[in-house]
Parts: sequence; C-alpha cells; structure tokens
Amino acid sequence: MKILLVEDHAELARSIASYLGQEHYICEVAGTFDEAREKLALFSYDVVLLDIMLPDGNGISLLKLLRKEGIESSVLIISAQNALDFKLTGLSEGADDYITKPFPLPELHARIKAIMRRRSAHKNNVLTFQDITADLESMECRVKGKLLNLTRKETNLLLYFINNKGRMLTRQAIAAHLWGDYTDNLDSVDFVYQHVKNLRKKITDAGGKDYISTVYGFGYKLSAPDQ
Amino acid sequence: MKLNYRYTLAYAALTFCVLSLGFAIVYAALSRSVTQVTIGELENLNALAVRQLRNGAATVPDSLRLYVQASPVAATDTARRRRTVQVRPEWDAALQARVAVVRLTTYPVVSGRPYRVTSRAAVVEPRDAYLTGLVLVFAWTFVFLLALVVILSELISWRILRPFNATLHGIQQFALGQPHAIELPDTRTAEFRELNEFLVKMTARAQSDYRGLQEFSENASHELQTPIATIKAKLELLMDSELTEKQLGTLTTMHDELERLAKINHALTLLAKLEHFEPAPDTLADLSQLVPATEAAFADLAEMKGLATTQRIAPGVRVPLDASLAQLLLNNLFSNAIRHNVPGGEIRVELSATGLLLANTGLAPSVPVSELFGRFKKGNSALDSIGIGLAIVKRISELFGHRVSYEYAAGWHRIRLDFTESALVTD
Repeated sequence: MKILLVEDHAELARSIASYLGQEHYICEVAGTFDEAREKLALFSYDVVLLDIMLPDGNGISLLKLLRKEGIESSVLIISAQNALDFKLTGLSEGADDYITKPFPLPELHARIKAIMRRRSAHKNNVLTFQDITADLESMECRVKGKLLNLTRKETNLLLYFINNKGRMLTRQAIAAHLWGDYTDNLDSVDFVYQHVKNLRKKITDAGGKDYISTVYGFGYKLSAPDQ
Repeated sequence: MKLNYRYTLAYAALTFCVLSLGFAIVYAALSRSVTQVTIGELENLNALAVRQLRNGAATVPDSLRLYVQASPVAATDTARRRRTVQVRPEWDAALQARVAVVRLTTYPVVSGRPYRVTSRAAVVEPRDAYLTGLVLVFAWTFVFLLALVVILSELISWRILRPFNATLHGIQQFALGQPHAIELPDTRTAEFRELNEFLVKMTARAQSDYRGLQEFSENASHELQTPIATIKAKLELLMDSELTEKQLGTLTTMHDELERLAKINHALTLLAKLEHFEPAPDTLADLSQLVPATEAAFADLAEMKGLATTQRIAPGVRVPLDASLAQLLLNNLFSNAIRHNVPGGEIRVELSATGLLLANTGLAPSVPVSELFGRFKKGNSALDSIGIGLAIVKRISELFGHRVSYEYAAGWHRIRLDFTESALVTD
C-alpha cells in the first residue's frame, strides 16, 4: 500500500515514515506543496497524509486541487490546528479524516486502516489474530469460533490491539482512541485498565489465550506467545 | 452620588448661608429703623410739650400726660442736660403685655427755667410681629431657589455632561478583545475632548498590546504542536525497540510528561482560539439532546468509578451555543464531575428552560470556588489534571452570554449554567 506523507517538518516526517515502514506501507515524503503536487501528478497513492501548514502553500488548497483533478486517493489531514478548528470551520471538508498533532503513531495507523477499510468495503472484512477473528461488518468477535460478548468499547479496543499487534500501546494512546475528545480531561489510566481487564477476562473465559501482556507503568501489548 | 447632585447640594448650603445672613441683616435693620422712627415721633412730642410750656402752660396738657411728663429741675443739675434715650421692656397696662418701651428725655430751658421732659411710647419690635413673616419669606425664597437649582442643574448637567456620559457609556461597552477601536462621540468641550483623545489613544495601545500577546501565545502554542508531535513519535519508535526495563521506565516517564505538556498546550491553544472567536448569530444548540448524549458517552467511565447518575432533562431546550463548543463545554463539565467525585458517589444533571445544573458529590476544594474558574487552578492538587477545564467552560459560556457559577456545600459541588435571557427558545 502506498502512502504519500506531505509534511514540512523533516524530523516528524522521518519518524512517521519509519513507523509506517515498519507496518509494511510504502511511504514517500513530500516536504513542500510543489513537491507534493508533482508526486501526485506522477504517481498514484492509496492514502495522502496531508499537513495543512506548508512553507509554500496550504494543504487545503492541495486537497481541493486533488479533488478537482479527480485523483482518487484518500486524504487524512494531519494538522497542528486543534479539533475545534475543523469542527468550527469545516476545515476538513473533502478529506476522509483528520488527526491533530501531537498524536500517537498507533492511532495514525488505526485511522489509515479505517480509511482503507471504508474504501474497500467489499474486500477483506475480517481481521484475524491467532485464534481471534473480528468481523468488521457485523462487529462480531470470535475466539476459536466462539462468539465473544463484548461491549462497543471493548470491541473497539480489541480491533485497536489487532491492528497494532506486536506493538506496545500506551494507556494514553488507548484512551485517545477509545474516547477521542472526551479524554482530554480525564485520568485515563484507571479506565483503560478496567477495559483491558474486562477484555482479557472475556477472551480467556471463551477459551482463548491471554495474548495481551501488561508492560508495567507503560501500557499493553498484543502479541502471540512465541513472539 | 451624581455630579450634579453634589453641585446642587453645595449650592443649597451656600444659598442657605447667604439667606440666613440676609435674614439677620434685614431683621437688624428693621428692628433699628422701628426704634429710630419711634424716637423721631417722641422728639416731636417733646417739642410740642416745650412749645406749650413756652406758651405759658404750667405743665403738660392732659391730653398728652399719658405720654409726656415735664417737670422743672434744679439749675445746678447740669450733668443731666443732655438728651437721653432708653429702650427697655416694661409692663404696659394698656396692651396688657410686656413690651419694649422707648423713653426720650430732653432738658429744655423754658423762660429761664430748666425743665426735664420725658416722653414714652411702646414699640412693637419686629421680633414680636414680623419675625414669623420674615422667616416665612426667607424660607419660601429658599425653597423656590432650591427647586429652581435642582431643575436647572438636571437640565444643564444633562446638556453639558452629555458628552461625558456618552464617554462613560463608550468605556463600559469597550472590551479589550474587541476587533474595532473604542467609539467616543465628538464634543466641543475642551476638557471632554482631551479626555476622549486620551482614552482613544490609551485603549488603542492596550488593544494592540493585547493583540500582540494573543498572537504570541497563539503562535507559540501552535508552533509547539509540531515539535511535540515529533518528540512523541520518536519516543514511541524508541519504545518499540529492545530496551531494558529501566530504560523503558525512563521513556515512559518522559512520554507521560510529554503527554501532559501536549494537553496543556492543546488547552491553551483552544483558549486563545476562543478568545477571539466570533460566534455566528442565531446558532442554537439543542441541549435536551446533547446533554443525555454526553451523559451516555461518559456512562462507562462513571460506571467504572461506581457513580450513580440521575438526570432530569426538560424537552426542547435550545440555547444560543455553537454545537461543537456546547459539546466541549459538556465534556469538560461531565469529566470534572467524574474526576472530582468520590468512589460510589452521585452525579445529578438537571436541565430546565432557564439553566443547566450539574451537581456531584466530592471532597471540599482546597481553594475558594470562585478561583477555580482561573487557569491552572486546581481544587485538589493531588489529581493529575491540568486545571484548565473550568476556564474553558467559563469562556464558552461568556461567549454566548450565559452565566456560570460554582458552589460547594455539604459535600456537593454544584455548577450552574444560567442561560442568557435574550434568546431562550423552548417549544
């Protein structure tokens, strides 16, 4: 899967690209408006990660240009503006989603996955990890074919874990993913702990292995026992 | 006290003094002239008596005896040869009252013999008869003057002070964050014009300073987002590499602190944004729908803390608020109610056409509740909050003219949002 990252801050671009590389994306970086336009004209990308503030132009006008020329790439806006700006001014119009800086990298990954899934709704709609399967259409999760009785938040959490399998997820990243704007003012730790505890219990009760390990003081990780 | 009242009062005191003095002078003059006139009459009387003595009468005729007495005196009695005037109160049998009596004594020489002629008359002094009248005259004068002054001072000060009052109004309407300059009316009065010029200059400078500060803090927090994002991304990449437990611990602490920094920065950017946010007119938020929805979004969090929530939601409450700002406001209120609660506590939500009340059980705040609306004020320093939520709540409420108040009593925190009366819409 090919991704174009339009971000003028070189260090941030390098970090994101390196992370996405680990997730087996092909990630190219454009540092300026012109470079991005050129790349978009020459190659096709599945997803464009777009920073709004560029040294030689505005990301939003790039987005408009993209749509005008009928380029079909999905666009995820990455911006230092806060969420309210998007809501108040409709800044994200024409984009598939937006994420505000600073964001946890796993969250970015989850958003990209969600966008891709939306674009190819008919294709692969089942996520699997070891003996866990999650049907994204019906939002049903099964362990060894046995249906898990999960709440909406727990399902969401499990999907987030599977999407970021083998990676450590900080409590804050999990909280940001589960509660979005609501978590700003909350001590997320306890709440994340509760949800993870419930999820683990439901999986083991259904006869699954406990794939989620706690990294004390830090967060959680979903990994196969042999990894 | 209004300026013209002070003037009126000072003028009244002055008038009173002047009138009192005038009254004293008039009284003294009147009193003196009455005595003088009487003395003049008595002199005539004495002269008449002397004329009759000269005409050969042995003594004063009977018709005059009641008022004039004449008797010969020893020639040697030279010490008394001068005219004397006596005024003293005496019992007057004819008037049956004690009255002032004037006595005039002269020492004429008739046919070579010295006489003593004394005439007397009762005088009606102004003290007795005129005093009341005089007092009344002066009192009425005073009252009329005062009434005139009050009316005139209202009229004149309304006219003269009109530009001043307009200036006052202009200052009251002025807000540091407003986009345009202060508006003051033109005036021909030199002092007021000077005042206005000064005010315009001063507010313009304050506004530009304020704007500069605003821009600075907005740009600063905005510019910080990207470096924070970079550090965060680097830390996360680092965390996924092979690390010892100690290294991971250090990284985790760094990550947590960075998270905190990001949240503070986010909140500050938001506040700066709200500072000059111009709400679109006629935006209404349906709180009857938003409040239960927010409550539902927080339900799992409340449940995990063992909190019982009760709601009383009036239907169709729509108030002037931007929907996303209303959501932000409610998020802050609900997360506060959960965060500052005690395990097994309660949350009560009441929405009516006039206001929203959010009450929750909790420990007493350690600072006065009025200070909690300030930035970085925390009611409980032990909690890991940044203490900016209520400042945001306050700002959003103010933007749309709603009033927010906070009180703590008997183990309950109560935050009340009184909706602005200007545009209550219910159906």
